[in-house]
Amino acid sequence: MVNGLVILFGLTMLYLSATSRLIAHVKILFVQGLLLFLICALGFNGTSVGTIVFLTFETLFVKAILIPWFLNKVLKKTRSNRDTDANIAHFYCLFISSLILFAGFMFCIADIPSLAMINTFCFGIALSTIIISLWLITIKRNILSNVIEFITMENGIFLLSLSVAKEMPILVNIGVLLDVFIAIYILGLFVSEINSELGDMEIAHLSDLKDCEYND
Amino acid sequence: MISLVLILPVVLCILLFLFKNNTLNSIAVVAYAFVHFILGLSYFIKPDIIQNNQYFCLNAANIVFYLVLSIVFILTALYNIGYSKNLSLKFDRRKMTLYSIMILTFVFSMTGAVLSDNLGLSWIFIEGTTLASAYLIYFDKTKHSIEAAWKYVFICSIGIALAFVGIILLTIAEGSLDSLNYVDLMNSAANFNHFWMNVSFVFILFGIGTKMGLAPVHFWLPDAHAEAPSPISALLSATLLNCAFLIILNVYKIMIAANCIAFARIMLLTMGFLSLFITSVFLYHTNNYKRMLAYSSIENMGILAIAASLGGIAYYALILHLIGHSFAKASFFLTSGNILELFQTKKIKSVHSIISYDKKTAWLWTASFLGICAFPPSVLFVSEFLIVKAFIIQKHFILCALFLFLLTVILFGMGKAVINMVFGEKNKEKEIIVKQNLSKITAIMYLPQFVLLAMTFILGIYIPKVLDVVIRCTIG
Repeated sequence: MVNGLVILFGLTMLYLSATSRLIAHVKILFVQGLLLFLICALGFNGTSVGTIVFLTFETLFVKAILIPWFLNKVLKKTRSNRDTDANIAHFYCLFISSLILFAGFMFCIADIPSLAMINTFCFGIALSTIIISLWLITIKRNILSNVIEFITMENGIFLLSLSVAKEMPILVNIGVLLDVFIAIYILGLFVSEINSELGDMEIAHLSDLKDCEYND
Repeated sequence: MISLVLILPVVLCILLFLFKNNTLNSIAVVAYAFVHFILGLSYFIKPDIIQNNQYFCLNAANIVFYLVLSIVFILTALYNIGYSKNLSLKFDRRKMTLYSIMILTFVFSMTGAVLSDNLGLSWIFIEGTTLASAYLIYFDKTKHSIEAAWKYVFICSIGIALAFVGIILLTIAEGSLDSLNYVDLMNSAANFNHFWMNVSFVFILFGIGTKMGLAPVHFWLPDAHAEAPSPISALLSATLLNCAFLIILNVYKIMIAANCIAFARIMLLTMGFLSLFITSVFLYHTNNYKRMLAYSSIENMGILAIAASLGGIAYYALILHLIGHSFAKASFFLTSGNILELFQTKKIKSVHSIISYDKKTAWLWTASFLGICAFPPSVLFVSEFLIVKAFIIQKHFILCALFLFLLTVILFGMGKAVINMVFGEKNKEKEIIVKQNLSKITAIMYLPQFVLLAMTFILGIYIPKVLDVVIRCTIG
């Protein structure tokens, strides 16, 4: 059951690579948050009550509800609809993401002694999620897309922490939560400021600072 | 006493928020700087009043980093009195209060990162520094400052997230141990899984290295340092980069204890030389003197990474270099604030003949250049000399020659710009602007740089015994 949810989580990244509609990206974040909650919930056996409350808050409330709601508000405020100016066509983008995800699946079935202490299934998918997110950040030109991919990367890191067979120190959980708040901070402070200062959300506007042609 | 240093800024922030008074803003920042400094001094005078607790401690491993942070902060806070007076002419009380609150929060986060004896906690505080300093970089609210702050937050957040992956991988490497405490990690390092340790180090080095400004993950640094107000640039360059380096150094020590040193050395050496190379190439293209100083920070972080990778006598050089760079670079950035106030431009080509308008700023600018470029008796001369000696002792002659060549190229690039700015021909258009702005530079905007430079040059001639002992304890 858990493995099925993890596979679904990996597949959401393919959908993210294939679509340019920003509202669909936000829906993906909701689905990822929900999947992470279910993955945690199915592994709650023997976990302390405090950890259960913390993980539920982190996945269900913050990742599945708070961030998508906040992003939705930003999308409406900035009237952003699509991210059409990616550096690579969506077909190739999807193809490369699929290759990375495939490599993640291959990692799952690898029989290496060093991997004995981890859940290779979660680990492989988490790693491919992180790599796909980083790859998408480099090719997308819309600031909101970049923020969304940053959050999917955080979700990948969360899944990575779940792949470790032992219980993570509480500091690690706090760390994941803090990263999520960074994402909200980026959204809240910068995205609206950039929008009001530059008029739209294109990364191309943020390339004035150069070494040789600098103007005050 | 440690609790006081961590609680006081929170109390001061609340007070500033309630009163929103410009005088109180400056007093609060200076007061915190003095309390911060007193904690550092009490380590030497009466160590028992420090009272280390479960998560924070002041010990031989971090005292140098803490003292450097304290000294730079106290002198920057003094400079900030004059600087914020000029800023308050442009911005309202609310904005100036927010500026002071963010300075306190920024220093609080850096202090937490230095004092924490837990890798996870250090990571959290380093992330906190990003949140606090982003507003300061963005303080001017110009198009350029938004761009710089955006790059800073986004690139550093990705870097720190990757460092977090490194921490998760470290927990895999440590096996049955369930702790991120540095002492526990050091004690159990011999049993760690080498494969996971190496992978974890790569992520932590690249992640925290982003914050430290090591090439090839340095892209935020020139923009952020150039766009931030000058006292903030001084804090970013002279203290924040050190805080990030302390984490890398602590993990590097764990790598040594885990017997994975060969891999870690190659990584550090590669990033160190890459930083020197990037600086030597880009320094020639830049037409902004604050960007030039930012590239110099990348260079010096590269030198620290090289010194760490060499080991032996270079460890001693590493700490000396860290101290010297922090003092000289803080002085350089603060003086750049004076030049910006006078000329109202950051363009190198628009600043000429500073010496004919303001002799003190001109000499401070020149002395800061001599200090940072390791002209004797700068302490950086001693540190770089020791690094060269380490290269020769270990018979890395080609690397030594490359190191000296890149330093010479950088020295020439910076020297050309600094000499043109100080002694070039007068520009009549600028003359009127500069004369109008001379009154903005008060005595408090010269004194901190003088003290910083005095320490940089005195340490090159004489290292007090107590400092020598502390450096030796730090390098273990």
